[in-house]
Amino acid sequence: MTDQTSATNAETRVVSWLLARNPELDTIPDDLDLIENRVIDSLDFMEFVFVLEEVTGRANLLDGVSVDAFRTRAAIRRTFLAG
Amino acid sequence: MLNTSTSSALPPGVLAQPAFARAIDRLSKLSVDGYYNPYRSFAWPDAIDPASWWMPPELLSVWGTDAADTLDEATLRTLAKWESINFYSLNVHGIRELLQAVIARLHEPGYEVASRFFHHFVGEENDHMWFFAEFCLRYAGKLYPDRQVRIETAPDPLIENFLVFARITIFEEIVDFYNTAMAADERLDPAIRKINQVHHVDESRHIAFGRKLMVLLHEDLCRRGDEALLDRVSEYLRRYMTASIRGFYSPDAYRDAGIADPLALRRGLLSHPARAAFDARVLRRTTDFMTATGILRPVREAA
Repeated sequence: MTDQTSATNAETRVVSWLLARNPELDTIPDDLDLIENRVIDSLDFMEFVFVLEEVTGRANLLDGVSVDAFRTRAAIRRTFLAG
Repeated sequence: MLNTSTSSALPPGVLAQPAFARAIDRLSKLSVDGYYNPYRSFAWPDAIDPASWWMPPELLSVWGTDAADTLDEATLRTLAKWESINFYSLNVHGIRELLQAVIARLHEPGYEVASRFFHHFVGEENDHMWFFAEFCLRYAGKLYPDRQVRIETAPDPLIENFLVFARITIFEEIVDFYNTAMAADERLDPAIRKINQVHHVDESRHIAFGRKLMVLLHEDLCRRGDEALLDRVSEYLRRYMTASIRGFYSPDAYRDAGIADPLALRRGLLSHPARAAFDARVLRRTTDFMTATGILRPVREAA
């Protein structure tokens, strides 16, 4: 994903998905630990990965990455959305 | 699979009821009487006819939806092959997780009586994992990867002890719905029917065991008198059932069946009322049991 606009749109969709699942939140700060703060948990994780696969157009995003790649919004942007 | 295990010991007495010990002895005897060598029990054919049904069409994740109407029969049969491989792959990954949980509790304090059956359980589940993996590798050349990620455990080991056996039993009951239908379906190759039949027979004992454990461990949670905790546990189990069922909607299988845009198909299926009705039918035996025992509680509206 190299195009800045599509990366921004993809991130917006990911953040929207997280906020829809966590109505008590009104924003997802870059450094918020999504796992520690239970924004996503084990039961959400598969769905979350599918959302990421859909917005990036890439399959099998779990291959070869650790859970830390999903830990913060900044890490997700760096690992999956940046060019 | 990431896991940060906590102590799995139980307080003395939780599983010490005579009725539980009698059930353990009865189930253990059934395991001994039904003991078989899985490596000699199956006549593996050289190939499974690729044009045959590998799974009943009525069990496919697209069944009952307009998506099924848009696929020709050849594609549906190919999808049946790959959804069956997904089903056995889910079994392999699920069994690996439950084996880790049970082995962690073998001969731990509080599990003295249960451990008598744990040995049969572990041996039988290892056999199941072997023959499901063997089927996938022989006839599809692969297993699908595990899509589930465990990233936390319950902070309280007593809750985790209950949730472990609740998850195991729910998983086994979901699988058994499919095993029962596939074992009896004469459209399927005899080898497919056999692995499903053998699994169903063994799982009937495991489910009976799991339900008894679930009830006793839940009774122990109830003795705390913490209604909010019981509500949270109930809500977690509802979410666990949903997450487990969603594993049957596999983009990997759709992709291998040649379906365009597998993630969009999955999204559409997950919001389809016919699929919601089917998934509820898969879970009905489990939800009825957990409701009758008070494990599943009414969903409370937020104030």
